[in-house]
Parts: sequence; C-alpha cells; structure tokens
Amino acid sequence: MLQKKICMLGSFSVGKSSLLRRFVKNMFDEQYHTSIGVKVDKKVVNVSGEDLTLVLWDIYGEDAFQKMRMSYLRGMHGYVLVVDGTRRQTLDDALALNDRVVSEIGKVPAVLALNKFDLSDQWEIEQAQETQLIAADWTIAHTSAKTGDAVEKAFLRLAQLMRAQ
Amino acid sequence: MPEQAQRRAFEAQAQEKPTDNNHAYEELRHLIVAPEQEGIASIQDRLDNLEKRTEDVSVVVAEAIQMRREKGDDLALAAALAPTIQETLRESVRRDPHVLADALFPVMGPAIRKSIAETLRGMLESFNEALEHSLSWRGMKWRIEAFRTGKPFAEIVMMHSLLYRVEQVFLIHRETGLVLNHVVAPSAPAQDADMVAGLLSAIQQFARDSFQPGTTENLGNMTFDELQIRVVSGPNAVIAAAIRGHAPEAYNLAMNETLEEIQRHYSSALAHFTGDPGPFRAAEPQIARLLETQYREKPPEMRRPRAAMVAGAIAAVLLLGWAGYSTYLLIEWSRFLSAMRNQPGIVVVSHTRDGRTVHIQGFRDPLSEDPRKLISQAGLDPEQADLQFAPYYSLDDAIVARRATVLLHPPAGVKLTAKDGELIPEGSAPQNWIAQLEEKAPWIAGINRLDESHLQNSNLQELNALKNTLQSTTLLFPLGRAELEAGQETNLAQAEQNIRDLVAQAAPLRQSVTVELVGHTDITGVEASNLPLSRQRADQIRAALLRNGIKSATLLPRGVGTSQPLRDEGTEEGRRLNRSVTFRITLSPLLAAGIAGAAPVN
Repeated sequence: MLQKKICMLGSFSVGKSSLLRRFVKNMFDEQYHTSIGVKVDKKVVNVSGEDLTLVLWDIYGEDAFQKMRMSYLRGMHGYVLVVDGTRRQTLDDALALNDRVVSEIGKVPAVLALNKFDLSDQWEIEQAQETQLIAADWTIAHTSAKTGDAVEKAFLRLAQLMRAQ
Repeated sequence: MPEQAQRRAFEAQAQEKPTDNNHAYEELRHLIVAPEQEGIASIQDRLDNLEKRTEDVSVVVAEAIQMRREKGDDLALAAALAPTIQETLRESVRRDPHVLADALFPVMGPAIRKSIAETLRGMLESFNEALEHSLSWRGMKWRIEAFRTGKPFAEIVMMHSLLYRVEQVFLIHRETGLVLNHVVAPSAPAQDADMVAGLLSAIQQFARDSFQPGTTENLGNMTFDELQIRVVSGPNAVIAAAIRGHAPEAYNLAMNETLEEIQRHYSSALAHFTGDPGPFRAAEPQIARLLETQYREKPPEMRRPRAAMVAGAIAAVLLLGWAGYSTYLLIEWSRFLSAMRNQPGIVVVSHTRDGRTVHIQGFRDPLSEDPRKLISQAGLDPEQADLQFAPYYSLDDAIVARRATVLLHPPAGVKLTAKDGELIPEGSAPQNWIAQLEEKAPWIAGINRLDESHLQNSNLQELNALKNTLQSTTLLFPLGRAELEAGQETNLAQAEQNIRDLVAQAAPLRQSVTVELVGHTDITGVEASNLPLSRQRADQIRAALLRNGIKSATLLPRGVGTSQPLRDEGTEEGRRLNRSVTFRITLSPLLAAGIAGAAPVN
C-alpha cells in the first residue's frame, strides 16, 4: 500500500488537531504535541479504487512565541494549510508560512482548509480573496471540524493531488 | 555505378602510360586522398600503439565510472571491480603489510577496543548472573510477586529472567519517516507501525534539532522503563528495534550490518522512494533476523538447588553428629578402659572395637568389682561390651584383704588390711578369734605375715580392768589394831568377788593370778611394832578370804609397815588411809599346768 507523509500546518488554534481528530485514528495522546511539538496520526483513504495510507503529522501551531520546526516537514508528500476563517490574520500568517515552506522544502501538493466554516456569520475572508487564492492555484476546502463538513473531502482532495503527481 | 566505371577507365589509362602519366596520377592522387590516408594512418597508429591507447582511456576512465554509477548500475561495476580490488589488496599486503595496516589503523583501533570492551562486559554479565543464580531465595520472591500481582509464575520468571527480547524491528525511510518494512516477534504486543515509525522520526528530528542542530547524527537509544529503542541510521534508511530488557552492544553491530546491507541492495529504491514500500518487502528476512530473544537462564524449576542444599546440609549435620557421637563414645570407652586397668583384681590384656561392640579380654579375681557394674557406672551401655575374663587370684592388697575378710569373718570392730603380703588386723577381738586368726591367716593366698600390733585381745582387756579395780581397793583398819574398821565388810566382799572373777577370766587366757595382800600402818606408834601390825592386818584379810573359799595358792600376805605409805602422813585422812590392806595383782602366763601358782612374788 502506498504511504504518504502529510503535514498539518497553520497558526496556533486554527483547528488543525480538531480537523485531524475528525478524520483519523488516534494512538498517541496530546502530550506529544506539547512536548516535542508534533503528533503523528494515520488514516487509510481510498483514491480511485486504490488504498493509500496517510501518515499525518500534526505540527504544533506557530505563534508569536514559537516558530515551527521546519525539519518536521522534510520528506513530506503534501500538506494541509489550515486557516481559521473567522480570523483574517491567520490566512496572512498561513500564506507567509507557506512561502517559507516552499522555499525550504520545495513545491508539493497542498490543500488550503478554511476552517470553522460553521461560524459563517463571523467569516472574515471575502469571496474576492478566495478567488485570488484559486487563481494562485490553491485548492480550497471550507471545513468545519465541529460539524465534520468537508473534512474528509479535503484530505481526499489532497490524496488525489498527490496521486496525480 | 557510372563513377566506378569512370574510375576504372581512368586507372586503365594510367597503366597504359606509366612514365608521364604515372607521375601526374600520383600527384593527383596525393592531392585527393592524402589527408584521408594520413587520418587513417594516424588512427591506425593510435590503435596499434598501446601507449597512446592507454593515454586515451586514462582521460575518460573516471568519468566513465561515474557515468556508469549514475546509470544506477553500480552493482555490476562493483562486481566487475571486486576481484581486481581484492587481488590488489592481497598483493599490497604481500609486498608491504605496513601500508594497509597504517591506512586501516584509525578504523581498527576503535573496532578492536570496542570488541574487547564488549567481551569484557559479556564476561562481567555472566559473572553477575552466576552470582545471582547462587542466591536462590529469589525464586521465593518471584512467587510472592506472582501471588501479589495475580500473574502466572511463569510470566514473572520470564519477565525477570529474560535478558532481552527484540519485540519489533522497523525499517524506516529516513527522510519521510514512513515505514518500509516492519516485523514483530511472536506474541509481542504490536502498535501501529506507521504511526510509531512516524513518531520515532519526529522524536529523532526533535532531538537532532534541539541538541545537535546541523548534524545528521541520529539518536542512538531511547529508553522507556523496561523498553529500549535502539536506532541505527544510514543515509536513506533507519532501523529501529524495540527491545525489552538490555541487549548487548554487539546487537547494534548486527543492526548496522543489516542496515548497510539494505542500503546497498536498495540504494536506488531508497533514493527514489515516493511512498511505495513494495520493493522493500524482500528485505523482510534480513530485518527478521534481528528479532532475537536471549534468556538470562532457563525458566524451569529453580528450587532444586535449594532442596539439594537443604538435603546436603541435613546430611552434613547428621554426619557431623554421628562422627561427634562416635568420637565421644571412643573417648569414653578408652577412659573407662584405663580406669578399669587401675581396678584391683582386674587385668585388661587387650581390647578391640568392632562397630558398636567393644571386646575386652583379661583376667579377673572373683572378689573384684563386677565389670558390668563398672560399665554402667561410667555411663556406658554394658550391652555394647563383650567381656572375656579368665578367673585368677589377685595379689592386690585390696583383694587380699577382702579375701581374708571373707575367710576369717572378723568380729565387729576388727578391720583387716593387707600390705605387701602382710595382714594387719586392727581393733579388739576375743581371744578365741585371735587364736583362729593366728591359725588360719598363713593359709590365705597372698598373706605371708601377720602383724598383730594393732589388734587387742578383748578378754585380756577385761581382765586388766578387773585387776585395776582390785588394785585400787583399800580396806581400812582402826589405829593400832588388826581388825577391819567397822563398815569395811562390803569392800571386802566386793574385793573377794573381784578376785573370784579375775581368777575365772584368767584361766581361759592361760594366765595365773597372784594376789598380794599388802598390809600398811601409819607412822604413829613404835616403828618396831608397825611392821608386825601391818603383817597382821594382811593375814587378817587372807584369813577372811580363805574362809570364804578363795584358794590360798593365789593369796600372798605381806606387811610393809610404814615403808610404802599410800598417802602423805601430814593429815589425819592421810594417816587413816595408810592404816590399811591393799591388793597387788600379778598375771603371768601359765607355762604348764603343773607350775600354776609357782609364780614369783614381788
């Protein structure tokens, strides 16, 4: 079975772990997160009739106090860039992070998850902005870890992108 | 075709006119084909000239090898070069071993050191183990632990006695942290390999970033309680082993060898890994070899040595006890035998031991102590003694005295002792027993002489007592007269009785009795008349005694006047006592019946 290393990237408290919890089988407890800044999960998905093992590295969110360890990204086959749709700033931070990732690791398939879509009334990302992102070749998913909407779809989409490579 | 025809025509023409035309032809030909020919000649020269050919190859040889390797065909290259390199090395060593030795020195030194350290550690471990084995109360401790935790005893033993068990081996792609292959020991708990491998890589990277940024070194060991994770890393792959217990350092060597083998075999697949573990399935036998289990000891039954020890201890105590008791008996018997040798009337000639029985041979006087009684008194068992004593007459003083006592029946108050063949009776005995003694003693075995100096004749003693009584008797007379003083008749009667007894008792002792009647006077009056007066007084008493039947033969009257006063004359009392008759007794052995009464007087 093919395996892919996928990283979850994004600012602090945008909902990376919540998205994963929705999606995967848990084995290690959250303590790994706080101690070494990463937690590894796994999910087997089926892409066009073929099983694919996703090994998901949930990397501790970046904030003003803590920079992400780039070394965790080495060898990844794809990543999910998670943004909190109710906080515009997280999108800018995510894009800045993305630039760093691309310059360090190179270009690999990625999906941009605009999370907390259930809170659409507090949504801060304009349609125009999204259009720009799509134009910049981003694959966008409106996810909600709370309701589970589009979560699976986002990962499947990423899997397809990686398969296509 | 037309060209060839033209050429042939031209050549034919040339042959026809060799002189002029030939020269021109050669010139033309030279002009046309010379550069080509020179080129060909040059090539020919290069092909023929080995030196030049070598030079050509030397320019490209490095690039060619590199190119070949880049094509991913390095295995074939290695295979092709291997024999030559091996031969080269061999030749190098043959010529001068120092060159290779010097080159290898930096590598071999640490390797040898490590190997020696490993061997020493192994020895120490087995030494420790041997020490632990000897303390077998551990088994009991484990039983208690099994009871306490509710786990089967076998599991507890396993847990403690397992030196190490490699439970899982992961082959991990170094860059992505994805699992290439994974093997689990039978019955070992297995987690999801993908996630474990991922997290292991994360931890490795975390450690690398945190403590040694910039290096490519990997974390070698991780320890969680009883579980140890050993990691060895190659350029593209990592082998991680989950080990319960403590594996020796040598195990890392095996891991490294396996990793190197895999790196070599799968170098291309590793370099171009995109998440497909398929090609690495074939590496399973290699990593499965790393699943090792080493027991510290054989799990079964561990109480046997303890039981053996207890049995041994009991046997030793019994043996010691038996030896101690035997020694004690031996000492007691020999002490008894030496005591027996000092026993009068018993002679021990020899003694032997036969198991529990003691055989004693010798002689014994019938009058000596019973040997069986002596054995009992010594606190030993007479049943253990086999006594063989021949009877004999002992000349021991004690036995001789005992024999004399048995034969002579001495009266009470007489004790018989013997010393060096002489019998010594002590005490007083009647005349007739003494006579018997004197007669029989010489006949008794062991008696040569008789010492009677400590033996008194009881009859003679009584005789002497009577004699003394009589001799202290005083019969008183009035002043100047030869008739008894009034009231002296009782004394006279007593004296008379005493004389009769004396005579009666002296007869069996073969003694004759002479009674002197001594008359005394005081100093008053005329001395010339005192002597006859004293004689008269004596005669007077003799006459009285004769009258009463005392035989005259025994009575000798005598007058001494004042010559032998009984008392000092200074007082009236003294003078009164001197007016008297007293008795003096002489006992003399009867030599013959006829001479009786012929004893001398005075």
